[in-house]
Amino acid sequence: MKHPTRPRAPRLIDDGSLWIVIAAPSIWAAHFLISYWVAAIWCAKIGGSLLDVRWIIAALGLASIALIGLLALVAVRRYGGTLIIFEEITEDSRPARERFMGHVSLLLCILSAVAVGFTVIPGLVMQTC
Amino acid sequence: MTSDAFDLDDLPPAEPYDEARDKAQRERLLTTWQSPKGWRYLSDVNNSEVGLWYLLTSFAFFCFAGVLALLIRTQLAVPGNDFLSQDLYNQVFTLHGTAMMFLFAVPIFEAVAILVLPEILGARDLPFPRLSAFGYWCFLIGGVFVCGSIFFGAAPDGGWFMYAPLSSNPEYSGVGADIWLLGLSFIEVSSIAAAVELIVGVLKSRPPGMRLNQMPLYCWYVLVVAGMILFAFPPLIAGDLLLELERAFGWAFFDPDRGGDPLLWQHLFWIFGHPEVYIVFLPSIALIATILPTFASRPMIGHSWIVLSAVGVAFLSFGLWVHHMFTVGLPEISLSFFSAASEAVAVPTGIQIFCFVATMLVAKVRPSLPMLFAGGALAIFVFGGLTGVMVALVPFDWQAHDSYFVVAHLHYTLIGGMLFPLFAGVYYWYPFVTQRQTNQKAGKWSFWLMFGGFNLAFLPMHWTGVMGMPRRVWTYDVTDGWAVLNMVSTVGSFIFAAGFVVLAVNVLWPRGKHAPVKRNVWNAGTMEWSAEVPDKPWGVRSIPLIKSRYPLWDQPGLLDQIDRGEWFLPDAKEGKRELIVTDILDARPLFVQRVPGPSWLMLFAALFLGTSFIVATYHWWTVALISGAAFVAVTLYWLWTGTAHIPEKTEKYVGRGLTLPTYEAGAGSVGWWAVFITMTGDMTAFVGLVFSYFFFWTVLPDFMSTTEAMPFGWLLLGFAGVLGQWGLTVAARGQLAGRAPGAAIGALIAAPVAGVLGMAAFAWAAMQAGLDPTRHSFDATIWALLLWLSVHVALGLLMQLYTAARIWAGICTPDFPADLRNLTLYTHFLAVTVIMTFAMLAVFPLWLGAL
Ligand code: HEM
Ligand SMILES: [Cu+2]
Repeated sequence: MKHPTRPRAPRLIDDGSLWIVIAAPSIWAAHFLISYWVAAIWCAKIGGSLLDVRWIIAALGLASIALIGLLALVAVRRYGGTLIIFEEITEDSRPARERFMGHVSLLLCILSAVAVGFTVIPGLVMQTC
Repeated sequence: MTSDAFDLDDLPPAEPYDEARDKAQRERLLTTWQSPKGWRYLSDVNNSEVGLWYLLTSFAFFCFAGVLALLIRTQLAVPGNDFLSQDLYNQVFTLHGTAMMFLFAVPIFEAVAILVLPEILGARDLPFPRLSAFGYWCFLIGGVFVCGSIFFGAAPDGGWFMYAPLSSNPEYSGVGADIWLLGLSFIEVSSIAAAVELIVGVLKSRPPGMRLNQMPLYCWYVLVVAGMILFAFPPLIAGDLLLELERAFGWAFFDPDRGGDPLLWQHLFWIFGHPEVYIVFLPSIALIATILPTFASRPMIGHSWIVLSAVGVAFLSFGLWVHHMFTVGLPEISLSFFSAASEAVAVPTGIQIFCFVATMLVAKVRPSLPMLFAGGALAIFVFGGLTGVMVALVPFDWQAHDSYFVVAHLHYTLIGGMLFPLFAGVYYWYPFVTQRQTNQKAGKWSFWLMFGGFNLAFLPMHWTGVMGMPRRVWTYDVTDGWAVLNMVSTVGSFIFAAGFVVLAVNVLWPRGKHAPVKRNVWNAGTMEWSAEVPDKPWGVRSIPLIKSRYPLWDQPGLLDQIDRGEWFLPDAKEGKRELIVTDILDARPLFVQRVPGPSWLMLFAALFLGTSFIVATYHWWTVALISGAAFVAVTLYWLWTGTAHIPEKTEKYVGRGLTLPTYEAGAGSVGWWAVFITMTGDMTAFVGLVFSYFFFWTVLPDFMSTTEAMPFGWLLLGFAGVLGQWGLTVAARGQLAGRAPGAAIGALIAAPVAGVLGMAAFAWAAMQAGLDPTRHSFDATIWALLLWLSVHVALGLLMQLYTAARIWAGICTPDFPADLRNLTLYTHFLAVTVIMTFAMLAVFPLWLGAL
């Protein structure tokens, strides 16, 4: 089959700017589920004081936030994400599209990090199941 | 021109206008896209028709559920009332909640999206018009079945969340529970079908040049909400399956005497149920986000902040399910996680509202009917959100749980968050659909009646709730002291209903003889208003290059260029319905997609599938089986005749110097994406079963030790067999690519043999261990996993034989391998399913034993 003219499109996976948008909230989701599971299994199977699992909760939280931080770095470095508030990225060009996605990803990183923090706090404060 | 040099920013100019050519092109487009006339109209698949049917049907169910609400309020108007019997009351409130949520709130999103999304995208249609039509027919049949049950006194009566054991034990709940489970599962299938259509639509059917940063907010919301449907509905389908297995065959999932646990249902229901609230709410926010810029005459402030919030809400809302279960005695630490997420979700929700308010503040908003409704919505919703934050606090929830306070909160969020914005949308897009204008004065009346009536009805419920009136009570006593407040609520609800009648009359009023509105009446910026007046069935005369979020404002002369056919695909020379498919990131045009036209097949498919669900309710298994087989046959015929044709020429000139291929297979094609997305949803349902397995393992000390172990050798054999089904399919793909169709057919016939043998080995292993699904939840869970797997092996079998036949018939060839590529993708998911099943059946127990 011969190839007709067709403008070359960026490949979804190489370009990656769609994945990075959902990566940070996915980490939040994973962290949330794992915390939930750790707590559920601990309380059902082992029970007793939560003080012993406190370090797991803290470690999980730190690891997730570190990962999200890494993603934020990618969003800034690779896609030029910035924390602008009112400037809109409306330009019609490929770099503008990347910057837009970087911007959204960066904001989502912040939101996800905050949400992970929200999940960690009760784990650190509570004593019992 | 070579492919790489092609630059969308540097297109050759359009050919000079030629009136004769324009006329001929219009003629051809018109005959190609015309709706069938007379009773054949019902075989239509065009998005504008299907969307309209969807919309009217959803509103019909809304009216039905609304009448039920009035019955409820009439019954509660005075103490000691006997207007409805207690039994009927239970059916009425259950059906009210069920119909409002499943037959109105979700379908209306799909209806509006199917109606306006293609036009906002400047596309002719969505990529799978027949799938939309099929979804619509399923929705209609299932909805009529569920609603009709009340006329036979057989409606579900267990509340809209159908808690087990009330719903799992046939002694407490009659056929109503089966109707709920099977009828709604059927409708959920149609919701998922629509979600697939919409996701592929947003990702692949955007007009050339509409990069992700130029995509209108409405499309972002559609993408997000359809994605949520894909992850929220499947766990409920898994739950429905388990519950129906228990009801019909006595499998032990929810019965504590046999190692079951009613809490499992609550988990599966609310994993769906909380995101559901946002699935209902975000599309309405999307309407406001589309309407507001029009009346502010400026772009939305904080576009990317809104995108971020929509995505954020979509994720966070899944971390909230347990907040409906605060009082069931879960460990406090678990509760606190969910409480945390419930508060966190307020942040992105707030950001969206904030952006709206900011836009209104910097611009001078033109007063108009849609804006009136939007304003009313905001006021009601903010109030409802505040009471929501109150009930998200565990201690307060213990106070207010299951009282009328919750009924008030729920209706403030639902009516403020979804109904009023929807009405704003109705008034806004009415001219778009009918090209006439509603009566603005009557519109104001409808608003004030509904706004006043609503507050009068629901504000007092906060007090009745705090004073201790429980929800779902059939009647109460004078001495309770709630009589006056209840009377006020009832009066309010009738005023609300009167307001809705005004709206309905205003919208349905025949205006055929009125003067049409002028084009783009509201002076909006988005593409759906580019439609000519009077409207044409082709969606858009020629598909333009988009360079802005608000093309009608920012691209001068665009309308004329479109009308003169200066842009892409201005013609339908071959008499085929054609779309341009573009890439996900930058919307570079990739190929021309031919979509099928009107057909009766979808109606028949839906009828057969519906019949098989409906008779299953009454346990007429033979009829159910026959009708299921008829459904499969019709569907195969539909696929055979309607999809993946070899085009008469491999490429086509689409105008402005651009020639595009007319066929695509694999990851670039829309069919591949549809399979991928559908299977993601399917996987989510499977994860629901996996969740059940681990849930039981967590709560039952003896979950795995109630039977002897399954023989490992047989399990391994089963694993190998089903993996073989996958491996052989992959091999077939290789053979076909290597131009050996005979070998490919051989592999495709061998594949299901391996799969079926593998399934037999799995079943044998379970029987060897004496697993009996009616005995204990462990046995039931294992059999449920095997049942799931075997259905997928069987589906694989069907598709493998189908594809083998297509290769044999020369429709699926080395150069046109779309069918086989899609099938391979399906079997990848099959492989993941069997790996996880094997892990739960063999590896995990082994590992635990070794611990
Ligand atoms: C038209 C005005 C409406 C009125 C007067 C109304 C009235 C009521 C009342 C009084 C109840 C409580 C029944 C009881 O607990 O005994 C109720 C429950 C409910 N309503 Fe509405 N409603 C209206 C609209 C809506 C809308 C638009 C939705 C959703 C989109 C909705 C969804 C629900 C749900 C989910 C329940 C819970 C049912 C259950 O407890 O199983 N309602 N409604
Ligand atoms: Cu909720």
